[in-house]
Amino acid sequence: MDGATFENLNLFLNFGLPLLLLMLAYFIGSMIERSHLRSIRKRESDYYGYPVVSFDTMPDDWKVSESTMVAGNIVVSLDYFKRVIAGLRSLVGGRIKTYEPLLERARREALLRMTESARGQGYDAIFNVRLETSRLANSRGDGNGTAGVEMLAFGTAVKFASRFARTL
Amino acid sequence: MRYVPKQPREGINVSDTHPLVEAGTLVVGLTAIFIAIVLALVFLIEVALYFIPAEKEAELFRDWLPDDLVTVSPGDERLYNTQRLVDRLAFHWAGAPYEFRVEIDDSEVANAMALPGGLIIVTQGLLDQVESENELAFVLGHELGHYKNRDHIRALGRGIVFSLFFTVAMGSDVAGLGLKVSDLALRGFSRKQESRADEFALAVVYTQYGHVNEAWRLFERWGDEGNSIRDLVAYLSTHPQAGDRVERLESLAIREGWPLQGRVTALQWQ
Repeated sequence: MDGATFENLNLFLNFGLPLLLLMLAYFIGSMIERSHLRSIRKRESDYYGYPVVSFDTMPDDWKVSESTMVAGNIVVSLDYFKRVIAGLRSLVGGRIKTYEPLLERARREALLRMTESARGQGYDAIFNVRLETSRLANSRGDGNGTAGVEMLAFGTAVKFASRFARTL
Repeated sequence: MRYVPKQPREGINVSDTHPLVEAGTLVVGLTAIFIAIVLALVFLIEVALYFIPAEKEAELFRDWLPDDLVTVSPGDERLYNTQRLVDRLAFHWAGAPYEFRVEIDDSEVANAMALPGGLIIVTQGLLDQVESENELAFVLGHELGHYKNRDHIRALGRGIVFSLFFTVAMGSDVAGLGLKVSDLALRGFSRKQESRADEFALAVVYTQYGHVNEAWRLFERWGDEGNSIRDLVAYLSTHPQAGDRVERLESLAIREGWPLQGRVTALQWQ
């Protein structure tokens, strides 16, 4: 092998390979993101009309026979490409736009899971819904852990005493 | 109160900037900033070179050693002989402002470096590969040439810039920045600086031995059979290609009328 081949090999290993991985991460990452959002939209339209509200006291006109706490949570991570972009962004500051869809997905997915859990147990509505996030996926002290987010949605699910109340 | 079901609205909490656009903006912008920093540093180094004479630099860095340097024992025969060879060669540079110190790094990769304050680092790998004193003298003369032109300070500046860049690119903490041999070794000089150092080295070798026989034989060997692949890659990454170099040195010697033949001095420790 001559010098030029070495140089090219060196160049490829130093720059080409990371770039290739970055591109791969971008394509796979955005594919996963798109399919997740599709699934979220579909399930949201399935649950269209199911009352999920954030009042901390139950509305007066709800006549309920049973209640329980329901929760839904999700831990979701970002692809390497977007993480690199976020890293670059954090050098100069400003909105980390590539993280926003992640938060949106996490929030809607957690709400959906909570709703699914309530529906599955035969409850008719949820009130006092709260959202919590933690940095579970990035809990290593040095900040080098996986960049992800955990979202927890919880609320009080109730069964209505009469069928009429369903239309309140 | 009536409950009116609604689908959640999209596009409020998510920017509609495409990630690739965001990436492009950031990469272009940050590259521009980086280039500006590099240019400013290059300028600052030239200013510093103008205002800090070599004597001052030698004094500042008198006892300096890089943190990660692993040296051989001070009693080593090769260290002693290499130091003596440097002293003899430096004798031909009248009024050299440096007191040259030689340290042997225990790396297996053949290389030599000129660090601030007259600290010349030679690797074990290089000492294993040189077969005569003339070969070693040329490599050492080459490093002396870098001091003569004060390339080592410029390389230091470049090293700082590169460390900064890699630190930022790797996302590690800027606080971890420090001068390491491993960094400096990878920061080459420009081609022009290299050939000027080569010219100086050849002149020094000629003055010392009265001929330039075997001065570039090390590079001939490397050019011929691509010796150990690792050594070649490492050396080529910081130094000119062996083939071009041999040709240039040969034509320089012929132009100057320096004899190509002469008695080769054996290494003291062989």
